[in-house]
Amino acid sequence: MTVIQTRGLTKRYGSGAPPALADLTVDVADGVTGLVGANGAGKSTLIKLLLGLLAPTSGSGSVLGHDITAGGEAIRRAVGYMPEHDCLPPDMRCIDFVVHMGRVSGLPAAAARERAADVLRHVGLAEERYRLMGGYSTGMKQRAKLAQALVHDPQLVLLDEPTNGLDPAARDDMLALVQRIGHDFGIPVLVTSHLLGELERVSDHVIVLDAGRLLRSEETQAFLADTGVVLVEVIGAADAQQRMGEALAARGLVSRPRGSLIEIDPVTLPDDADGEAATRAHDQLRDVVRDTAADLGVGLVRVQAQTGRLEDVFREEVPA
Amino acid sequence: MSAPAERTGVIHDIGYRRYAGARMSSAGIAGSLLASGVLAVFGFGRSGKAKILPFVLLGMTMVPAVVMVGIMSFIGLDAGLLNYASYNAGSSFLVVLFVAAQAPVLFSRDLRSGVISLYLARPLGASAFALIRWASLVLAILAFVLTPLLVLFIGGLSAGASFTEELPRVAWALAGAVVLALLVATVAALVSSWTLRRGLAIAGTIMVLLVGLGVTVALKETLFFEGMDTAAHWVSLLSPFALVDAVTAVLGGTDAQITSAPESVATGWLLVSTALALMAVGLLLLIRRYRSKGA
Repeated sequence: MTVIQTRGLTKRYGSGAPPALADLTVDVADGVTGLVGANGAGKSTLIKLLLGLLAPTSGSGSVLGHDITAGGEAIRRAVGYMPEHDCLPPDMRCIDFVVHMGRVSGLPAAAARERAADVLRHVGLAEERYRLMGGYSTGMKQRAKLAQALVHDPQLVLLDEPTNGLDPAARDDMLALVQRIGHDFGIPVLVTSHLLGELERVSDHVIVLDAGRLLRSEETQAFLADTGVVLVEVIGAADAQQRMGEALAARGLVSRPRGSLIEIDPVTLPDDADGEAATRAHDQLRDVVRDTAADLGVGLVRVQAQTGRLEDVFREEVPA
Repeated sequence: MSAPAERTGVIHDIGYRRYAGARMSSAGIAGSLLASGVLAVFGFGRSGKAKILPFVLLGMTMVPAVVMVGIMSFIGLDAGLLNYASYNAGSSFLVVLFVAAQAPVLFSRDLRSGVISLYLARPLGASAFALIRWASLVLAILAFVLTPLLVLFIGGLSAGASFTEELPRVAWALAGAVVLALLVATVAALVSSWTLRRGLAIAGTIMVLLVGLGVTVALKETLFFEGMDTAAHWVSLLSPFALVDAVTAVLGGTDAQITSAPESVATGWLLVSTALALMAVGLLLLIRRYRSKGA
């Protein structure tokens, strides 16, 4: 099901300024969707447009079937939002605050109390919920912010940099929580981050923004697919790596050293090659590596397919 | 093997539960926000020590009322002692302290701690939110200024004052208190939504309200002395306390406490309507402030 849809969405702050978001056409479905981009790439602008807090300069969009220009209130009833920056009053107890935010989102008093306790348990703030939030650690603050975004049982949550400022262990917890929300709780999640590695782990779909423009929007799997490049490691005499490289070149393969590994480019297939030919080429390349190593008498430690990483998107498509 | 039925006290992880119950309309949300705002001014829903200051001030503002009622009951002085309309002018210092200390709770705190971005991501928009916050402050100030008046009124009745004689006098005082609450709340809301630091907001509000009162009195006296009476009456607009005092004096026939009141009833009404118009402008500024925060 499509939960967010934008068509040519553009936002300029001031008429002469470069667009913060330019001609964005994208669809977001169920599950966890990562929104990646450097600082200033337009992530927060997109979220504010989706919440109906900013009016787009041009283009259109809808969230859960509500138009973002006309249906702001309906959207904000159904969406949970966790902002990037600090947003907790220091002189309130967490439980009171989450109940209050539940009520402001339209829950009756009894339901707000019950759900606040429930949600705080899910985010792992069961014991600390009666303390004033001014004394919270960054990790606890992030959990409290997440709790207030979930208290009214939204149909979609927008999480702006939920792992900001967290230590590695807390970061893992938060990411696991994001994944639970998207899959176990069944609430679609749009989560932003400037750390690609994080989104690689939790998201089903990744949208990459750069300077307000859409770079790519694809299944996470597509980013992480086999690139065809093979990494080989050999051991033997001191020059084993160099001899192996030369022998591979003699057999017509393009390779280069990368640290202690040898990186072999895939064999270019003719344009009309089918899937079967690709598989054959894949196997043949490995056979050649094995035979070459056997001929040279060097030990073959590793033959590894190199999978893509999200960072490659920036390497490929953004000229330095 | 024991039967499963013998086991007791099993903890089930029921997982995440969806909410399918009723949800409130926008009016319901506004009502709950209004109530929580009024309570927050008196420290409810906040830390324990947040309740100290508002209640100490409320206690202090009641002292004269209690003393007057006491004097009436025990010494048996007549009801002429009950001067409702001048009560707020007389206790203006406490009202200013209360408003200055508590307005930042509603305005500076949201804007400074960033909670405003959460509120604006909820169904109510920026304008409704700003107006509800202002209304919360108006109601809180009303509670603060009306309580001693009611103590005075009810205490006076029980001490033998005549209900029919006292009612019109107290009614004018109550009307004056409402106008006072509206004007003071607008001034305090503007000051504390622009100065995000609590200390600055407190100092700023005291400055505008108390120094404003002093300046108004001084200016009025000077202008009366110079014989420019019309100008002197219009100067009342600089201070809500002076204005309410002057207007209730001319319209309700109460004793002016601060300076002499205008003689023409028309001037009185004109002053009130101008003050309310200025208040509307203030509210527009407040809404603009919240809108710019949301974008």
